[in-house]
Amino acid sequence: MPSNPRNLRVAREIARRDILFSVARVPNSDRLFVASSTNKVYEIDASRTNAEAIEHADHGRYVTAVRLVGNTAISGGYDGRLIWWDIQNRRAIRTIDAHTRQVRHLALSPDGTKIASVADDMVCRIWNVASGERLHELRGHEPRTPTHFGSMLYVCVFSPDGRHLATGDRVGHVVIWDAAAGRQLSAVEAPTLYTWDGVQRIRSIGGVRGLAFSPDGAQLAVGGVGQIGNVDALQGPSRVEVFDWNRRQRVLEFTGQNGIVNKLIWTSEWLCAIGGGSNGLVMFHDVGRRASIHQGNVPMHVHDAVLNDDGNQIYAVGHQKIAVLELRA
Amino acid sequence: MARINFCGSAAHAVNRRGFLSTLATAGAAAFAADMTRVQALALPEVAQDLRRNQKRCILLWLAGGASQMETFDPKPGAVTGGPFQSIQTSTPGVRICELMPKMARRFKDTCIIRSLNTRNGDHGGGSRMMMRGRAGESNLDYPDLGAVLARELGQENSSVPDYVSFYFATEGRMFAPGTPGFLGARYGSMDLYTSQIPENMRRAGISDQDHQARNELRGLISGQFERGRLSDSIDSHRQAYQRMRGIMAHERLFDINREPQAIRDRYGPTLFGQQCLAARRLVEAGVPFVRVGRAWWDSHGQNFETHQEMVPELDHVMATLLDDLEQRGLLESTLVITLAEFGRTPNINSQLGRDHFASAWSSTLSGCGIRGGSVYGRTDETGNRVADGEVNAARLFATIYRALGINHQKNYYVGVRPVPLTDPGTEPIREVLA
Repeated sequence: MPSNPRNLRVAREIARRDILFSVARVPNSDRLFVASSTNKVYEIDASRTNAEAIEHADHGRYVTAVRLVGNTAISGGYDGRLIWWDIQNRRAIRTIDAHTRQVRHLALSPDGTKIASVADDMVCRIWNVASGERLHELRGHEPRTPTHFGSMLYVCVFSPDGRHLATGDRVGHVVIWDAAAGRQLSAVEAPTLYTWDGVQRIRSIGGVRGLAFSPDGAQLAVGGVGQIGNVDALQGPSRVEVFDWNRRQRVLEFTGQNGIVNKLIWTSEWLCAIGGGSNGLVMFHDVGRRASIHQGNVPMHVHDAVLNDDGNQIYAVGHQKIAVLELRA
Repeated sequence: MARINFCGSAAHAVNRRGFLSTLATAGAAAFAADMTRVQALALPEVAQDLRRNQKRCILLWLAGGASQMETFDPKPGAVTGGPFQSIQTSTPGVRICELMPKMARRFKDTCIIRSLNTRNGDHGGGSRMMMRGRAGESNLDYPDLGAVLARELGQENSSVPDYVSFYFATEGRMFAPGTPGFLGARYGSMDLYTSQIPENMRRAGISDQDHQARNELRGLISGQFERGRLSDSIDSHRQAYQRMRGIMAHERLFDINREPQAIRDRYGPTLFGQQCLAARRLVEAGVPFVRVGRAWWDSHGQNFETHQEMVPELDHVMATLLDDLEQRGLLESTLVITLAEFGRTPNINSQLGRDHFASAWSSTLSGCGIRGGSVYGRTDETGNRVADGEVNAARLFATIYRALGINHQKNYYVGVRPVPLTDPGTEPIREVLA
């Protein structure tokens, strides 16, 4: 079913008391698995506004990422662990001490055989989904920022064909890897997404928060927040930069209302950037035509989002809310 | 009383001779009469003993308001607790945020006060209150902590500054500048805003030798003019000049490049680390009060990442400073304070930030006069209110004064009006004092 971002509307809002950092969806359904600030993974039926949340894996710390492979949910959190969880029998299949610092993000390969994790130990690790075996350890991000503070490794994403993996850190350094060989292929820089204020406040804000390959895998979109005058809050323009990553060239950039882009979704029709500041924000861009399609607000600061199978509905999760957004033609 | 200035360098003796030479030229009999005492104080064993006994204070001013929950009063598991865990300190049962492992290990000299309720969540008003220990009064300009300690702990004829303040960030600088208030400019702060070494101390192109020659000429002319006259202004002028000469002679105290590389490496490469090393050099030389402003903690957005960035620096530098002071035999006589204008809300806002919060927050006191390895006061399980041992600004200041051996009920006089150091009826927190 075709989509039209200009017709974006909020179909449903589900109020929560917690903060949701990540979402995965059971295919062909409204069943969501969300990663929560209450340290747990929950299953929620997003077709209802008052659905009961079913408890699944418990990390004992904030859960920052969850992905689904068949009947298995794999989650990561501030405890540095990855938990493989049988969602039918509601029991842990496997727990791995995956990182020495908090896990920030997980990416599942398109064929569902590999999962990549990134954490603030500044390492990306690729795991065999079936066995839990560690396949690769990718080190390409500096542990310290240029001003001697600890850096953070926020996000990773596979290309649509699964051959490539991209990782992005706090200072705007993005590495593109050969996912099979575990070898660095390229790197691009998006320093505008990192604001170091060495004069007024002597601290920083920002980082690469969203990554998405184009459908053909040749381009890479990088999202975050542009330069900020006052780093006390997210008072800078939401920002997306698109790179021809093979040539290490930036080919496009666009900005929107104040806030940070936490998630990028790239389809054959549009590139969607979603995130927030005090309020939630969403932008749709036609990269081929280098034109904005639509910019608007969503009901909350969004940390993660997932598209439905038809490409016309977005399930967004964030600050104390789940929102179902429709893009009907 | 003569002032003991220890810096350990040969240059010190040269400058002292120059200082005495100036006095002799000026015919300052009162100073000359004290020479024997000054020379005796220069004996290494006497100087070492006295420098250990003189009280000093270093204030780590966490401007903008550090979060108590990501530092000294963590609430893991609470809905307000945030993502970080607590870790065990060297005192059984006392836990602090996992971002502070070094302070957790060397907690033995530190007391956390977890029950500040200062009722002012405004940067300006909160800063003024927490630098003065009291709310403002429209017709009375109170001195701040540094000025009071300069007055109480400084020496009259000091050749080093009594109150040095480092504050390089521009944000929040003017919320709480050094303020001598009614004590007068003598106790004002030497504010370092852009350079670690005081600027304009020495005019370009004029050597120290030139300055010394000018000083001698000034002394000769002043002495001739002074003969047969009694004048406060001449005396004040001479004192000011001598003081400035003294400070110029101690320029090297601000220069951390004179420290061994190993010591500099311990403090680390950040500005805050460098300034805390300079602060240690200054208190070691007899400066009674140094404020190191570490701005800016005002994390309305991305609070956890802000603290993940800044707290490890605070942890490392504070632990290093306390270790260094202890190894030099100075910790018993040096009080190290962490303080801000307020803390941060337990509630987490939509930008993953925490906002201003003065109802239940934390400060620490370490070293001189403090019962180390302890905690005073308690907040409730979500951190929204003080559950036990509420402390206001006046009580905190009374405790600081008592730790430094100062009578917190002492009166200053503004005209005939007595002004107590802390509000009448205020008592220090006995449980915090050693």
